[in-house]
Amino acid sequence: MYWTGLSPDEARQFLANKDKSKRDKRISLKEAVQKYVKDGDNLGIAGFVNARQPIAIVHEIIRQGRKDLTLSFQSAGLAPEYLAGAMCLDDSKNSIKRMELAYLAHEAFGISPLLRYLTENSLIELEDWSNYNMSARFKAGSMGLPFIPCRSPLGSDMLKTNRAVVQDCPFTDRPIMLLPASHPNVALVHVQEADIYGNCRIQGPTFTCPEIAMASAHCIVTCDRLIEHDDMTRYPNRISIPYFSVDAVIEVPYGAYPGNSGGLYYYDEKHIPEFRNACEKFRKGDRAPLQEYYDNYIFGVENTTGFINKIPLSQIQYVEKIEPGIRLDAAYTVLGS
Amino acid sequence: MPKYSEDFTPQEMIVVAGSRTLIDNKVVFAGTGLPMVAITLAQLTHGPGIVPVFEAGAVGPELSRGLPLSVGGSRTTYKANYLLGLNSAFELTQRGFCDFGFIGGAEIDPYGNLNSTMMGSFPDGYNKPKTRLPGSGGASDMACSCERTIIIMVHEPRRFNEKIDYITSPGYLDGSPNARWRAGMAGQGPYRVITTKAIMGFDDETKRMKLIATLPGETVESVQEATGFKLIIPDDVYAFEPPTVEEVRLIREVIDPKGYFVRKKIKE
Repeated sequence: MYWTGLSPDEARQFLANKDKSKRDKRISLKEAVQKYVKDGDNLGIAGFVNARQPIAIVHEIIRQGRKDLTLSFQSAGLAPEYLAGAMCLDDSKNSIKRMELAYLAHEAFGISPLLRYLTENSLIELEDWSNYNMSARFKAGSMGLPFIPCRSPLGSDMLKTNRAVVQDCPFTDRPIMLLPASHPNVALVHVQEADIYGNCRIQGPTFTCPEIAMASAHCIVTCDRLIEHDDMTRYPNRISIPYFSVDAVIEVPYGAYPGNSGGLYYYDEKHIPEFRNACEKFRKGDRAPLQEYYDNYIFGVENTTGFINKIPLSQIQYVEKIEPGIRLDAAYTVLGS
Repeated sequence: MPKYSEDFTPQEMIVVAGSRTLIDNKVVFAGTGLPMVAITLAQLTHGPGIVPVFEAGAVGPELSRGLPLSVGGSRTTYKANYLLGLNSAFELTQRGFCDFGFIGGAEIDPYGNLNSTMMGSFPDGYNKPKTRLPGSGGASDMACSCERTIIIMVHEPRRFNEKIDYITSPGYLDGSPNARWRAGMAGQGPYRVITTKAIMGFDDETKRMKLIATLPGETVESVQEATGFKLIIPDDVYAFEPPTVEEVRLIREVIDPKGYFVRKKIKE
């Protein structure tokens, strides 16, 4: 048996020695990535497909360059696709070694061109799981358990290449799957609202963001809005991620753009295909559009504000207008500067 | 006005067949795309009490704010009755709250096993697939733990194979007696396969795929010809009732007016 990221005992030990104080955790995204994301790390990617993907964090990682990464996620789209694109363009600067995944594609927008490119050319190693498996693995990690039992997907070929163990249940005598916990080195999480200590309030589905945040050794949170601490703690049972599992909080409006951030902005049906088409062209041998995309939107800007400045205002207004998700709108005061 | 539509598309036929297969007041675990259209059509016709569940967390939402582009998108959450995350949705399924699950894949075998992971040789070619597909997502969990599954497929010989390259979502495995039970699965397995050409089910004894009905324009022979393995053809195969003018109107005008899923060309 091998562990990627931390073993359960290492994860426990790490947390025992961690500063859990309630302190102001605001730093710049640049510093957060410098401080917490290392070459060779296992990164837990939060969100679900293209909803609340940690796009701002991933763009910053790409600007700084990180190598030999392991990416762990249930279903993801843009975040691993951006990292894959960076690897395709210059693998001496950014590279993915391995993915532990259930699904990488873009649902209605289409398949992931670069997952195809990287796997069909044997450039990365994969470990396939189901959505429930990856979610339950993070959950086991967040529960402090070395494994978790699960009833699916028994009978699937996934079990031939992943680390799941099938054995007879000691109580029912029927086969059951045991999944190893996942403890990434760093969780990359985007939420709608956080306070300066790292408490997060997720609007809409929580996906597996709380589990990933609490299973990981470190956790970087970007939020669309920083809000007053008193407004956060007015609804304690609506706090999705508690402050002491978070290391860095950065207010990054549109930090999940061009994906969906529930209650704030919907998927950008123009920009996602623009990026995906550049990836598809790369897969088919035309490198220029992908290079141009990265030069323009990632390397050519300092941060997410620079990226968003390149998108027509009308396009941003449209994704805000059509977003149907609700949030506890009147329940907070946006933190002043 | 004629009762039946004369210009329905293959996708609309799948949606109508999927919708008519659903039963009112059942809980249906849905994927993106045609299944969502089918569920909504059923809700607007014979099944107003159908409860959709989405794997990213939403239970029982109204799908009246436009078709979701993703099972995790905000449109799945509108007026939902319960909303947490993936673990909660799959725990509900594992517990037995989900009566039906809609799934699909790139290829299928006679026992309803589905592949959505890779084309190529497995396990030796796992890290160098001929074609890498997106992966299981939640489909394999639905295949195991929803009480029954409804499979949606494009009907082409290369997608219906006696042996598939990789079993992502288990059906009846090798078809041997109680294969699913012996493997430890909770749900009963595939109920229907709905394609662009036919509605199929599975033989009670052998668990092999059997033809139930041919869709408009198809015959028993044309369906068998488009299937890469031998189908069981019972005596009571019937011609499926074509989409009505009203069903097609609901799809085009009410459910998917922008044509996200229904007008989209099925990939050949």
